[in-house]
Amino acid sequence: MIGILICQIALSIVLASVFLIRPSLTSAMGWKIVAFIGLCVLPALCLVGGINTHVQRSETTRFCTSCHVMIPYGQSLYIDDANHIPAQHFQNHRVPTDMACYSCHADYTLYGPLDDKLRGLKRIYLQYVTTPPAAAAIRIPGGFKNAQCLHCHAGARSFEENPVHSPMMDSLKSEQVSCLGSGCHDTAHDIANLDHQKFWKPAQ
Amino acid sequence: MKLSGIGIRRLLQTASALVILGLLTEIVSLLWFHPLSFVLFAFVAAGLIGLGILVYLVSLVFVAAPSDGTGD
Repeated sequence: MIGILICQIALSIVLASVFLIRPSLTSAMGWKIVAFIGLCVLPALCLVGGINTHVQRSETTRFCTSCHVMIPYGQSLYIDDANHIPAQHFQNHRVPTDMACYSCHADYTLYGPLDDKLRGLKRIYLQYVTTPPAAAAIRIPGGFKNAQCLHCHAGARSFEENPVHSPMMDSLKSEQVSCLGSGCHDTAHDIANLDHQKFWKPAQ
Repeated sequence: MKLSGIGIRRLLQTASALVILGLLTEIVSLLWFHPLSFVLFAFVAAGLIGLGILVYLVSLVFVAAPSDGTGD
């Protein structure tokens, strides 16, 4: 996919170079059309392709863990403990492993992806301009919402018919009871105790 | 200076240079797998390409086409 986009960019560069060297070519009608394609249509398409590629790339686990501060969070996905919610989801493919972070942390609302990008830019600012927080000190603004869990689990038979979940379904949906913060599934990324954990090694 | 005084050739060359610079920056951002590559694309490449397109469109709207045979 990136290969096709780079070929398109190369073609656009060649066409733009023609008008950089010989701008007088545009006096002919045919070249006017070529100039419109080379300086407007193709660059705009390259821009759209670039946005698409970068947005898709920013959803990958590899991208998230390419930040130094996120490396321990990536390691916590391999903790060999069934009570460790992110690790359990990752290791049992309850979320796509190549999009593990995004699956649980994406804001699934209308302007959610835009909010996510702005939060990501803020973290880049913290990393490169100010002093970044320690990995264990990072907290999600407003806390982890049940909506993130319910995006997949709501409607699932095993979840809805669970004798613990069913009586409190309304409270879960209205965020009155937190999936993570109410003592039920409270072991998320345990970064502070990462050194004492046993890790799962996937078979090659 | 009025836009018509600048001339379509100069505007076309400026637009081409901006678009080429933006596209080269986009290639770098695509081949560089790093959180900063998104910033490079969003703030540098997209800005240069957008500005290049804008200069080209301005040249179409506000400046008369060059006459034949005047050379570069």
